[in-house]
Amino acid sequence: MTVLAKDSRQTIPPTMSTEALIPGRRSKKPRGKGPNQKSAYVFLLPWFIGMLFTIIPFFASLYLSFTDYNLLEAPNWIGLDNFKEMMTDSRLASSLEVTFVYTFVSVPISLMAALAVALVLNQGIRGLPIYRSVFYLPSLLGGSVAIVMLWRYIFGYEGIVNKALAVVGIQGPSWVSDPDFALNTLIVLNVWTFGAPMVIFLAGLRQVPTMYYEAASIDGASAIRKFFSITLPLMSPIIFFNLIMQLIGSFQTFTQGYVMSNGTGGPADSTLFYNLYLYQKGFTEFEMGYASAMAWLLLLIIGVFTAINFVAAKFWVFYDN
Amino acid sequence: MLVLTGCTSSGAGSADGDVTLDLVWWGDTERAAQTNAAIEIFEEKNPGITVVTEYQDSAPYRDKLATRFAGGNPPDVMAMPNRSLMEYSERGALADLNEFPDQLDTSVIPESVLTSGSIDGHLYGLATGLTTIGVALNKTVTDDAGITIPNDLTWTWEEFADFSIEISEKTDGKIYGTGYNPSVETYVMIYTRQQGEDFYTEDNKLGVSETTMRNWFQYVNDLRDAGGYPRAGFFEQQGQSPAQSYLALGTIASQFIPVNNFQAYNEASGGNLVLLRLPGETGSERAGYSIDPSQLWSVAAKSEHPEEAALLVDFLTNDKEGAAELLTQRGLPINPDVAESITAQLSADDQTFVGFITDLQESELPSNYVYPAGAATVADILIQVSTELEFGRLTPAEAAKKFVTEATAAIGE
Repeated sequence: MTVLAKDSRQTIPPTMSTEALIPGRRSKKPRGKGPNQKSAYVFLLPWFIGMLFTIIPFFASLYLSFTDYNLLEAPNWIGLDNFKEMMTDSRLASSLEVTFVYTFVSVPISLMAALAVALVLNQGIRGLPIYRSVFYLPSLLGGSVAIVMLWRYIFGYEGIVNKALAVVGIQGPSWVSDPDFALNTLIVLNVWTFGAPMVIFLAGLRQVPTMYYEAASIDGASAIRKFFSITLPLMSPIIFFNLIMQLIGSFQTFTQGYVMSNGTGGPADSTLFYNLYLYQKGFTEFEMGYASAMAWLLLLIIGVFTAINFVAAKFWVFYDN
Repeated sequence: MLVLTGCTSSGAGSADGDVTLDLVWWGDTERAAQTNAAIEIFEEKNPGITVVTEYQDSAPYRDKLATRFAGGNPPDVMAMPNRSLMEYSERGALADLNEFPDQLDTSVIPESVLTSGSIDGHLYGLATGLTTIGVALNKTVTDDAGITIPNDLTWTWEEFADFSIEISEKTDGKIYGTGYNPSVETYVMIYTRQQGEDFYTEDNKLGVSETTMRNWFQYVNDLRDAGGYPRAGFFEQQGQSPAQSYLALGTIASQFIPVNNFQAYNEASGGNLVLLRLPGETGSERAGYSIDPSQLWSVAAKSEHPEEAALLVDFLTNDKEGAAELLTQRGLPINPDVAESITAQLSADDQTFVGFITDLQESELPSNYVYPAGAATVADILIQVSTELEFGRLTPAEAAKKFVTEATAAIGE
């Protein structure tokens, strides 16, 4: 990656060195207890305060996962029975499948769309703030009840989507009540809310020093080469951050599934997200102990995937400070 | 999640209410207005009691009720769905209303109504009103198509199928002959009884056989193939309000409904509906109809004021002035004197459904039993299996087997 000519080396910001540009190697920077450290704690303070409210339910749910709590009577300790039952629960397995498919399809597409749009907007379009807001707005509303209900109408058999398809001569199915397509409709909804990661990507793209691109142009690099050799590596921490956040969020999807299917996870369990099944177990079937066990399994799953990501990050993410 | 929630504090502002009761129910704004009007009369008659009311849509209501019990703050008086009565009473969450003979008078209530909310002789739920299932048919459609409606007292399921197919054909497929929801257990219960079985038996087990379920599923499939029933995926929303029903939209000509909702459906459908009996009542093993509680009033076992709560239930059941406000919102009043006193005030449509029920009461009807614990899960299983059947993922035989297996497990747990 030696695309730097002798002259431009002098304009490198002092925090960067060529050593830092080698993937996988992080240069050591002395850590001081400067004002940055203190301000970090100040920003974390709301989270600490929130923790005070959630810490007791957190451990209560751990305790309840070893009981047969049915909401109406006192819980009885049953040990690992809940976890054993989870191993053979076919609906649990299918809810995991729904959640995994949803996550591993919508998150990559969502991130790619976010990055693509951020790249386009970074070219310096007039009215950038307007575009940015327009794209960001869906991600604020996307998880809301109103939008999901709206989605149900748009993708219904008589909805706008099918009417548009009819113009081209295609008779679309009901994207909402057909078990083969219901989940896809929710995936589209999740992708539509790519605005939040996009805004972060846009900010990150702004941080990439333009001189790298200039130097690359001098060396005759194409736009694609520039993307893969300059943009992606320098953006990798931000891509990593968005990936983790999106994964964690997607695994916990509830509202979209609940509203779209009226709480049933239908049609035919095709939108039965893990959290929705957990909710049904707890409130419809009065098996709150089992639901608590499910919650801890989800925590474990998310933890495992996050850990995998952190380990994998050593190979493709590098930080330049 | 709480789509419709309202919290009103009724009462003439008496600051010295010695006792405050919580009353909760599910329903829409119309039901809330009528109930609150009745509550005001109760408070006038009982100056020491203030009633705080709250209501939600049915699904959020069920969740909130469970949460309130879990949190140790149950409402004093609540509307209890049939499906949930066993779940709550089995765990000692509800009070035995038989223990309040001074406050709650059940002397004129028919025995069959009392048994539908009693378990081992303990009255855990008192029916709010009576209802049953009927076929709501858009007569204008059949008149325009020149089809005569068969005699609903004697028609068979085959005749009903032929009738529905004829409607679809004569309207060039624009209006389906029927669009009843095959996954509502109260409809299946009537069909099951006609086959000589009980969906839920007296000893709280699943009594419907695989054969019966298979025939029920096969019937819908055949009707769908023949065009009398809408294609798969047609129903995108089930269980929505009468105003949004497919019957009101005019895309189907008939539907099964709880008869106490007849007025709402008829208003939404421009007054074109007639109310008929379900097919198969004659010529089967036995008649399938029963008069059912549409919902139940229950009192929490841990209520701080159980006597006052019982007084409230007594008012809701036996008071004629209160009934004049409540009318038939939750079914025909179970107290025959009260029912008679409000007849004159009922609209023509409500009188239709009252007549429907009183006609049925003249025959000897089978008893209906309390739903077992796990009934809510069974309802969900039925929906799920019906959807898989609808999209051809299961054959009727497989669907029947899956339903019976999973439902038995859900009740047995």
